Amino acid sequence: MPVHGKFDELGRFADPSLLILTSLADGPKHGYAIMTDVAAFSGVNMEPGTLYGALSRLERRGWVRPLATQERRRPYEITAAGQEVLAEQVKTMQQIVQVARLRTAMAWGA
Amino acid sequence: MQPGLADRLSRALVSCHPRRWRERYLEEMLDVLDQHHPTGRTVASLAVSVLSTHLDPAYRTAGPSRSQLRRAAGWAAAIIAPLALVSGCLGYAAWNERWQLSGAGGVGAVAFGPGQRLLVTGVGGPGTNNMVTVWDFADRARPRQLSAFRGGQPTALSPDGLLVVTPAPDDEPALWNIADPRQPVRVAVMPALGHQPLWGEAFSPDGQVFAAAYLDQIFLWDVANPARPRLLGTLAAQAVQANDAASITPQDIAFSPDGRFLASVTGTDHVTVWNVTDPARAVRIATLASSRDMVQTLAFSSDGNLLAGVTYYGTVLVFSLADPARPALTTTIGTIMPHALWPDGLLKHPDAPPCPPCSPAAYAVAFTPDGHTLTVLVDREESSVSGDPAVTMWSRDTIFTWNVASSGALSGLTTAFRKVVDNYPALAPDGRTVADGSPDSNAVYLWTPP
Repeated sequence: MPVHGKFDELGRFADPSLLILTSLADGPKHGYAIMTDVAAFSGVNMEPGTLYGALSRLERRGWVRPLATQERRRPYEITAAGQEVLAEQVKTMQQIVQVARLRTAMAWGA
Repeated sequence: MQPGLADRLSRALVSCHPRRWRERYLEEMLDVLDQHHPTGRTVASLAVSVLSTHLDPAYRTAGPSRSQLRRAAGWAAAIIAPLALVSGCLGYAAWNERWQLSGAGGVGAVAFGPGQRLLVTGVGGPGTNNMVTVWDFADRARPRQLSAFRGGQPTALSPDGLLVVTPAPDDEPALWNIADPRQPVRVAVMPALGHQPLWGEAFSPDGQVFAAAYLDQIFLWDVANPARPRLLGTLAAQAVQANDAASITPQDIAFSPDGRFLASVTGTDHVTVWNVTDPARAVRIATLASSRDMVQTLAFSSDGNLLAGVTYYGTVLVFSLADPARPALTTTIGTIMPHALWPDGLLKHPDAPPCPPCSPAAYAVAFTPDGHTLTVLVDREESSVSGDPAVTMWSRDTIFTWNVASSGALSGLTTAFRKVVDNYPALAPDGRTVADGSPDSNAVYLWTPP
């Protein structure tokens, strides 16, 4: 999955970070809820090591924010900055999708 | 990679992260592992996480230089990797095993043989396609299926490990000789004489007498000659009226280890105790009120002076039989359910209904052979109240252990937890090892609390 500008800085956590931000876009979730949500909407089975590697980087960049712990669980919410980079990334992806559709349609003669 | 090993290694790897990282993420990551089913991929992702966080300046402890840290990491890796592998494998063997059954179709009853070398599992009820499977699990890491035959639940194993009783069609207990566990032979069927359902089975400690419990009758059979069981007598009891018949387990009827007493659930909330020193002339000595709700599971202490039970809603009861003429309820602890984990992994939940009317759990109870400890296992598969449908597929084992006084007084409660997907728990004769199976998961899960 190609990534845009700021996401590039996340290195191997770029793709998981995009999935996490997308998951948090509709409300706060704790770690395991993020994993199940990501699996449900993308089919990607994210492992805990990857999840927390990405979460820690997102938190340091101020794109997600930890909320108060509930029992042993800590929910995370997306910040305004996180929403902004997510929107940028989605825009880039839409452009790519548009070009891909056009070119595959031409190639297939549709 | 075996699920149990992956789980063990994953937890070990989480603890290998830098201190700063652990202070921030350890608890929530362990919580995720509680809900996740770790695999080899999980272990690999955590190993990469450990390495990358140790190299990440944000989590590196101030002080040593980069080169010092690299050297230390190299040494640590060289020393820790083999140790972690060995300790992980040992820990796996000692603490947590789970194995898939092949072709058995699930587990609805578990019975341990002598020395905890033999395990018999049964699934399904009479009249369905049921199986009983005999396992050698002397090597816990590599249990071997010795045989499988048509049977079901409840399933009982004689103390010498030579006989298995399992229901034949029409609720008739069928007696199987497993002296050669690879070639079980059905040697007799004990007629139900029109009674149904068969909900409890128990062998006397010397293996000479078998008790078959029906709704309002308990048949005592002389099985000294397994090929020719002989009816010794019938014990009449107030008809059992279960809240949920499916939750009645074979532990609901139990002989005392000295063979003097037979205790059985009766009525809606009673336990009846008979003196069966002479099984042909058994005498009812008491009907004890639980004062709460229906007793689900029973166990005697090794000296036979104490009888413990757990009720439908998780009340723990201890009766003293030290004076057989006047058995008495000496301990009632009605507070354990709030301390049993919800399937979500939470100890409490703000929206949780009180108990009762919470959903029932599955229970097992046992004294340790020295009689000093009472263990109660609560396997809670209550529907999640978190709104997360994914968690309802799990149940949670919570182990409660108390020190037991000779009077039956309990003290020094400790607890341990385990995530399982199964809901037919049993405790081994050591009073500590838990076996949990499920008709759905086609697996047995073994663990021993630390």
